[in-house]
Amino acid sequence: MTDRSKTHGPHEQGLLARLPQLRRRQFLAGAAALSALGAAGVPLRAGAAPSGHLRVVANANPSSLDPATGGAGSDHVFLYCFYDTLVDWDFATLAPQPGLAESWEFTDPQTLVFTLRQGVTFHDGTPFDAAAVAFNLQRNRTAELSNIKNDLANVETVEATGEHEVTLKLSAPDTALPLILSDRAGMMVSPAALGNDPEAKVDRAPVGTGPWTFTAWTDGDKVSGAANPDHWREGIPKVESIELQIIPERATALRAAQSGQADIAYQISEQQKVLIEKMPTLELAFGPTLYVYQLYLNASRGPLSDPRIRKAITMAVDREDWVKATQAGVGEPAWMNLPQAHWAWSEEAAKYTQHDLDRARALMKEAGVEGGFELDFRGYTDQASVQRSEVILQQLGKLNITGRFTNGTIAETSSRFFSAEKAGDVLLSAWTGRPDPSLTYSLLYSESSYYNPGRVAPPEGFEAAMADSRATADQAERAAALGRAQALVMDAALTIPLSIRYEVDALSTKVQGYSANLLGKPKFLHVGLG
Amino acid sequence: MLNPLQRRMLRRRLLQAIPVLFLATFSVFMLMKLLPGDVAVVLAGEQATDERIAEIREIYGLNRPLLVQYGDWVLGALQGDLSQSLLSGEEISTTIARVFPNTLFIVAYAIVISIVLGVPLGVLAASRPNTWVDKFVMTFSSVGVALPNFWLAMIFVGAFALNRAWLPATGFVPPQEDFFAAVSHATLPAVALAASGVAEVARQLRSSLVEILQSQHFRTLHAKGLHPRAMLWRHGLRNVSVNLLTVISLLVNRTLAATVVVEAVFAIPGMGTTMVNATLQRDFPVVQGVVLMMVLTVITVNLITDMLYSVLDPRIGQK
Repeated sequence: MTDRSKTHGPHEQGLLARLPQLRRRQFLAGAAALSALGAAGVPLRAGAAPSGHLRVVANANPSSLDPATGGAGSDHVFLYCFYDTLVDWDFATLAPQPGLAESWEFTDPQTLVFTLRQGVTFHDGTPFDAAAVAFNLQRNRTAELSNIKNDLANVETVEATGEHEVTLKLSAPDTALPLILSDRAGMMVSPAALGNDPEAKVDRAPVGTGPWTFTAWTDGDKVSGAANPDHWREGIPKVESIELQIIPERATALRAAQSGQADIAYQISEQQKVLIEKMPTLELAFGPTLYVYQLYLNASRGPLSDPRIRKAITMAVDREDWVKATQAGVGEPAWMNLPQAHWAWSEEAAKYTQHDLDRARALMKEAGVEGGFELDFRGYTDQASVQRSEVILQQLGKLNITGRFTNGTIAETSSRFFSAEKAGDVLLSAWTGRPDPSLTYSLLYSESSYYNPGRVAPPEGFEAAMADSRATADQAERAAALGRAQALVMDAALTIPLSIRYEVDALSTKVQGYSANLLGKPKFLHVGLG
Repeated sequence: MLNPLQRRMLRRRLLQAIPVLFLATFSVFMLMKLLPGDVAVVLAGEQATDERIAEIREIYGLNRPLLVQYGDWVLGALQGDLSQSLLSGEEISTTIARVFPNTLFIVAYAIVISIVLGVPLGVLAASRPNTWVDKFVMTFSSVGVALPNFWLAMIFVGAFALNRAWLPATGFVPPQEDFFAAVSHATLPAVALAASGVAEVARQLRSSLVEILQSQHFRTLHAKGLHPRAMLWRHGLRNVSVNLLTVISLLVNRTLAATVVVEAVFAIPGMGTTMVNATLQRDFPVVQGVVLMMVLTVITVNLITDMLYSVLDPRIGQK
C-alpha cells in the first residue's frame, strides 16, 4: 500500500499510473463489477438473492431526493440508491458507459439519439420508456423548480421517436451531453409519481428505477431503502436493505465504522487514512477524485492581470510539498484541473505547472516586480482551510508575494468573490469536478462564466478547442481537443490547481465489492456483505 | 391544588414569559440575518446562476423586508404553524416532535445521574467535613467541573465503545422503540454530560449542608439527642432543598445547551445537531423553531422550579 500510495509525476504514463489507487482486493472486485456494467446488461454471473443490511455513514442531510430540485453535491450518494442514470461511467476513468440507455449515437452533430433498455420498470410498477425519458428531460430543462436547466441548455427539443428511442435536437454540437446525462439531469423519475406534472416534485419520496426502493427519510438522521427485486442489472443489489446514516462530523463517522455500527464511512479526512490502516476491524478504500484544491485568480486587475506574474505563481508552488503538508501525503499534485487517472488528462498541459522557482523568479523580474507585492487573499474559516492558507502564503513568500487571508463561510466568501462585488484577488478554494471535463473547462474559463471572477477572456484558441471537443463523439479526439484547451489555460495560469483530493473510505471487513470512484461520489450497488 | 398566591405567581410568570419569547426569537432572527451567507445560494445548488438565486429569493419571499419576514413568522407561530424547513421541506413542528424527545431523554438521563451520584457524595463530604473523604470528594468535583464534556465524551468513546465494545459509540434509539437499546445508546453521552452536574450538585450540597449543620438549629437538635443520621437526612436535606433545587434547575438549562456539542460527538439526532446544521445552512425557520422550543423549555423549567420553591418552603409563596 505504501509504495502504491505515493504520488506519480506527470511523466508516468503507464496504465498503472493512471489507475486510481485502490486496495488490491477492492480493485479486483471493482473491476469485476465494472465489467458487468460495461457488458451492457450481460451480467458476468447471475447473483444470489440479496442478503444483509448495509449501513453507510453519509456526510450531510440530502437537500432533496428529487434530482431536479436538489442542489448539494453530497446528494448524489443518496440519489444513486434510488435512481439510475441514462448514462453510466467507468469507476476508474469516468469514461461513459451504457446505463438506462443501452446505446446512443450522434446521427449528425446536432442530433443525439438514445436507444433505451427494454423491460425496465419504475419502483411504482410503471414502465420505463421513451415517453418517460422525454418527460424527465423536458422537466429538467424547463420546469420552474428545476435547478439543472443549465445542464441541458444546448437541448432544443426532446422527442420520443419510438417506444424505446429518444431523439434530442441540439442548438449547437455538444458531445458532452452523454456524460451530462450521467449526472442529475440523467436520473429518471417516474412520471406517474409526479402525476405527470413537471412542476410537481418527489423530493421526499423518490421513485426511480434504482437498485433500492425508498422506504424512509428521517431528516438529519437517516435515509433507508429496500432492495428493488425487479432491478434490471442481474444480481444487483447484493444487499436486502440499505441505510445511510447522516453524520456530518467525519471523526464521528469514522468512530461509527470502527465500533461496528456502520459498514462504510466515506470521505474521511486524508489525515485519518493512517488510522484506518492501523485499525484491525477496518479496511481502507481510496483513490483519486475530480475534487481539485485550487487558487482562483481575479485576472482582470492589478499584478494578476499580467500573465507573466500568474505563471510565476503557478511555477512557485511546490505541489508535492503541498500534498505532504496539507493532505498528510494522501493525494496527488494537481498539474491541471483533472486528476491523472482521467481519460482527458493531458501531458502537454501538465508541463506548465511544474515547480521551477528560478524560472518563476526570472518571470517576476521580467514583469518588474521582483521585490514582490501584496495580494488580498480570501478563504474559509474551517481549520483545514486555514492550514492550507498558511502553506500557500509560505510558498508564495518565496516570490516576495505577501498578503493576508480574509476568511468566511463558503457560501458568503464564494459569492462575494465571484459575483458582482469581486471581493479579493485570490480565493483559496476547490473545484468539485463535473462528469464531463468540457463542463469543467467552460465553467472555469469562459468569459461569461460565474467561476471566472474577472470575466477575463480565455486565451485565443480555447473556445475553438472547446467547440472541437463537443463536435466529436470519439473519445480520443475529444481528449486531444480538451488537452489543447487545458494546455492553453494552464499556460495562461488563469487558475492555479494545487492538489487532487483522494477519496478515503473506511470499510468493515465484511464489506465486499466496494471501490472508490473517480467522481468522488460513492455508489453501493455492487456492495455485498460477507 | 394551587393556593391563590401560587395562582397569582403563575399568572405573573406566564405574562413575563411573553416579552422573553419575543425578545429571544427576534434577536435570533436578526442574528441569523446578520450572519453572512444566504440560504438562497444554498438552495440554488452548486452551479447556480445569479438569476436562479434571485428567482429563489422571490419564491421563498427572502427579498421582503426583515420585519415583514419576522412578522410573518410570528403570525404563523401564534397559530401553531412554525412553517417548513427551507431545505428539506419538512414541517418544523414535525422536526421538533422528532428530535426534541431525543434531547430530552439524554438531558433527563444526565440529570438523574447528577442527582443520584451528586447528592450522596455531597452528603458524604458534608457529614465528614475536612477529613480525607471530604477532600477527595471536593477534588473530584473540581476536576468534574473543569473537564470539558466534549473531551470527556471522546475519552469515553475511546475507552468504552472502541477499545471495549461495551456501549455503542454513536447513534440513538428512541426509548419507545426499544428501551434497553435507548439506555445503552444514551449512557455514554449522558455520563459525559453529567460529569460536571455530579460535581456541581456535590459541591453546592456540601457547602450548604456544612453551613446548616453548624447552625444553632442543629445544635439544638443535637442537644435533644436526635440521631445524627436523622438530623442529616430529615432536617438537613429539607433545609437545603431549596438550594439544591436551584442548582438542579440551572443544571437542566445548562445541560440542554451542552447537548449541542455532545450530540455532534455521538451523532445523536437531537435539538443541538438540528440547530447547528440549520445555522450552517442558513435554514432560519428551523433555527427559529428550535430556539422557540428551547426558550419555552427553559421558561417551563424555571416556572416549575418557582412553583416547587413554594411547596418546599411555604414561606416563599407568602412573601
